Amino acid sequence: MFSTIWSQYKATLTVFLVLLVIVVLEVLQVRAAIYPSLLPAFEWLKNSTPLGYIGTTYGSIYATVQAMHLLAMGTLGGLVLTTDLRLLGVMFRNTPSEVISNGTHKAFKVALIAAVLTGIFCVAGVADKVYYMPVFWVKMLALAVGAAFVFLVKQPLLNSKPHSEINPWIIRGMAITSILVWFTVAASGRWIGFS
Amino acid sequence: MSDNKKIGDKELAAISVSVIVFGGLMFHWVAELISTLDLLELAYGTVKLFNNPLVF
Repeated sequence: MFSTIWSQYKATLTVFLVLLVIVVLEVLQVRAAIYPSLLPAFEWLKNSTPLGYIGTTYGSIYATVQAMHLLAMGTLGGLVLTTDLRLLGVMFRNTPSEVISNGTHKAFKVALIAAVLTGIFCVAGVADKVYYMPVFWVKMLALAVGAAFVFLVKQPLLNSKPHSEINPWIIRGMAITSILVWFTVAASGRWIGFS
Repeated sequence: MSDNKKIGDKELAAISVSVIVFGGLMFHWVAELISTLDLLELAYGTVKLFNNPLVF
């Protein structure tokens, strides 16, 4: 009986299994236990790597890479809004949503890789500062959740069948959540800059 | 709802994740709003919209 339910609701059960693991890890305070052991890695990143050296020594290079990071994040946000507002039926209504979601997903992958690579450089220069910022960890968590949401939940469902065959409220729910996740990534990023 | 729009496994997983993530993020932002209002109240004694200590 369990194998029947498992084979029928594999994805849903996996979601609740992951949620259960997260809750158990939080109750056992695993995150709080790991946090102090990350400080040496951040100090190493700033003080003992070429990235940290360049980031703390050459302001022009740091500014250039940070500009590239902002452009990558801006592209990411633009692609997310294009896809999700089309899924909500707000814009590009004359173009099939399958065409837009498939087209933007390819560019999304490139923009995400660019944002992560330039982001590592940006962190390296101020690693010992951002380590103590809760908002930095909010951004990292939102980024991980956003990427996992796109690659493991949203895109597999959108690619599985024509969008007209998917319940429209599920598509709308996914689009609103996606916008909120990436808004959190953007807002937390700017909050790091403000701090 | 027509038969071909019935909610399958992937749909159920997608809406579950959406609700959980949306709820978590709303909780985060509401908590941020409350702590910001608390800080403003602590700093100025009262919270006014467009609170500016230089304008009486």
